[in-house]
Amino acid sequence: MLAPEPQAQPTATPPAAEAVLTVEHLYKSFGDNHVLQDFSLTLHRGENVVVLGKSGSGKSVLIKCIIGLLRAEAGRIVVLGQDVATLDHEAMDRLRAKVGFLFQSNALYDSMTVRENLLFPLRRHWLDHPRAQEGELVMQALEDVSLAHTADMMPAELSGGMRKRIALARTLILRPDIILYDEPTTGLDPVTAREIDHLIREVQHKYGTTALIISHDMSCVRLTADRVALLVEGRCYAEGPYDELSHRDDPKIREFFA
Amino acid sequence: MSQRTASNHVRLGLFVLVGLGILLVTLFLLGRQQNLFSRSFLVQADFRNVSGLLTGNNVRLGGIPVGTVRKIQILNDTTVRVVMNLNRDAQPFVRKNAVAAIGTDGLVGNTIINLSARPGPAPAVQPGDVLRTKSPVGIDDILSTLAVSNKNLVRITRNMTSITEKLNTSPALWGLLSDEELAANLRQSVRNTAAATALAQGTGEHLHAAAHDVKVLTRGARQGRGPLGYLFTDTAFAGQLGHAARQLAGTSDTMATMLNGLKTQVRTGEGPMSTLLTDTTFSRQMRQSMGHVAQGTQDFSQTMQALQHNFLFRGYFRRQQKRQARAAAQPEANK
Amino acid sequence: MSANALLAETGALTRFTARFFREGFRPRYEVPELLYQCYVIGYQSLPMVGITGFIMGMVLTLQSRPTMAQFGAESWIPTMVGLTIIREMGPIITALIFAGKIGSSIGAELGSMRVTEQIDAMEVSGTNPFKYLVVTRVLATTLMLPVLTILADAIGLYASYVGINMKGVTTLALFVNNIFAGLTFGDVLPAVIKTFFFGFAIGLIGCYKGYYSDKGTEGVGQAANSAVVVSSLVVFIIDLVAVQLTGLLGLN
Repeated sequence: MLAPEPQAQPTATPPAAEAVLTVEHLYKSFGDNHVLQDFSLTLHRGENVVVLGKSGSGKSVLIKCIIGLLRAEAGRIVVLGQDVATLDHEAMDRLRAKVGFLFQSNALYDSMTVRENLLFPLRRHWLDHPRAQEGELVMQALEDVSLAHTADMMPAELSGGMRKRIALARTLILRPDIILYDEPTTGLDPVTAREIDHLIREVQHKYGTTALIISHDMSCVRLTADRVALLVEGRCYAEGPYDELSHRDDPKIREFFA
Repeated sequence: MSQRTASNHVRLGLFVLVGLGILLVTLFLLGRQQNLFSRSFLVQADFRNVSGLLTGNNVRLGGIPVGTVRKIQILNDTTVRVVMNLNRDAQPFVRKNAVAAIGTDGLVGNTIINLSARPGPAPAVQPGDVLRTKSPVGIDDILSTLAVSNKNLVRITRNMTSITEKLNTSPALWGLLSDEELAANLRQSVRNTAAATALAQGTGEHLHAAAHDVKVLTRGARQGRGPLGYLFTDTAFAGQLGHAARQLAGTSDTMATMLNGLKTQVRTGEGPMSTLLTDTTFSRQMRQSMGHVAQGTQDFSQTMQALQHNFLFRGYFRRQQKRQARAAAQPEANK
Repeated sequence: MSANALLAETGALTRFTARFFREGFRPRYEVPELLYQCYVIGYQSLPMVGITGFIMGMVLTLQSRPTMAQFGAESWIPTMVGLTIIREMGPIITALIFAGKIGSSIGAELGSMRVTEQIDAMEVSGTNPFKYLVVTRVLATTLMLPVLTILADAIGLYASYVGINMKGVTTLALFVNNIFAGLTFGDVLPAVIKTFFFGFAIGLIGCYKGYYSDKGTEGVGQAANSAVVVSSLVVFIIDLVAVQLTGLLGLN
């Protein structure tokens, strides 16, 4: 259960830990639309990094390249010490078990109940897990997002915020090292959005996960970011703690913090 | 929707099993019908003509399917060998002397092979035996009859051809047909003939009137009343009257003969017809003669009328009229 | 649609088919999902297909009766209706109904899964979505349509029996004998075999349209619609090819 905390501590973690996710000189384009051009970013264990960018600036493309849903044209992505581009299908699947992905549209399976939704990645990734534990793991994940009572409901019966939290529970059930959030608060009302922000923090503290958050919602950025990276024109234009960036005078940075 | 339970699997299983079951039963029944699954043996028969027999067609014994056609092959230009698959069950009933014939199943049905038994004992057929065959008699008969008719037809048409050729090559006929004057003459003569017959009709009327008068007269005479009696004793008068009547009869006989001849000639359209028809003088003469006949009969009628008014006969005729008037009045009074 | 787009579409569909054969027969096999899809696609289509089959048999019988009666061939109605249903009407009508029901639902389902990133979610959940979604559905349609067709044939023929008894009298045994008398393997086998291809085409096109549907809810509708249109057309084309092929093989 998550008690709404009025203010999280944004700059608590010092960036001294090991690098768990490294993106180096990434290029990706769709036809003539050059989305990512020489993008580089490093995530350290336990920190929440927000990539801030305008709509259509290629934020989603970035995390889809990281998880292997899209293939970059050039550059290197190293996740937990493994170069994504060199992995075959099975190795990629093993890596994906350690990297959670929260989709912008939640991507809950409409034809399955909440429980089945949560079981899906569990059964798929952990082929040899003991069946007896399944129920316990599901309930644990649901309690983490305080929705234990919805286990037998269909996704269509849930509200947008609840669905987002179920989707988060589905990523949490595998105990990932890294969670990639694709615009977690987009399309939610401000109150629900803040609940999600706090939940992201909660998860970080409880499981010590590293998180890469894609967003253009400034409240979300302020509440969840240990560090902010600005994605402008396909490159990492600036990076640093929220408070530091928000006080810079660069016009391109000011655009975001205005 | 998302009930991935065991009962769903049961339903799916039932669904698939029923479907496959129906398919298998269908195939099995078809196979049994075509003897694919029952034990069978092969026999052969050589035909001159198999009339479109196909592999898979039925073989029947006494109208019951006992097998199917397995293979059809041409042995030489006049022989087609048909290999038949017969049921083992039917083996005891198909004798070595059975005769195979090509037939059809109904009027428009498939071609089939009919096996028919022959009188006389024979052992059951063995695999590989070659059965005797019979060509389809009915059709052959029909065809041979048709051949004779055809030959006759050929002869007839040949004759016809020569006739039409002769007609074609005859310049006389073509001249005749293309002669416009002839047509005009023909029309003219027909018109004349019509006039002549009209005259003849007139003559006939006069004749009729005269005959009526004569009848009245003779009736009175036969009854021997009044002064008639003595008149009829006058043989000279009677002779004259007879003479006139005879002449009249002769004239009308001649006329009838002449008309008959004319009619025949017109109808047959050959011989002297053309000359006759073109001869306008003839018809003019005929008209004249008819005119004479008419005049003759008219005169005769006048003579008779004069006779009526003669004093000798007047009384008789008056009485006659009175009696007639009375006879006419009587039925009205009776009513 | 321009000729170029049509060719591009055909090419993409061919690649999709090739991918089906490349991925479909390698492990891992999604057997439980295949069974579930068979249940949804086959069993749950039965009422629809059954009703259509029943009406088809009934109407065919009642419609052909006046004409057959004119020729004094009423006793041939079972044979004619049997041949018509088993050879052509059963397979084609079932396939078209199936395309309408299943083709559109597959197109819409995969389309919405694509649009709401469920397909991506499967991929990151250690599942090959092509195998899990496409292969199972295509196999299910390929295997279920023949079963549905056979059942529709059976139901249609029963309806024909009922239809004959509405205006005359025949026994079931005579009716069945009449049908079988006019039937050969050459009538049944090609008709059954072609339904596999019908099912394959319907499933494949539905999956293709859904799997590559454009973003947005409009794309989902389009995927469902064009899945039905294209698969119905392809069913007819396959039918034409089938009749030519069976003719060449001497089975007609």
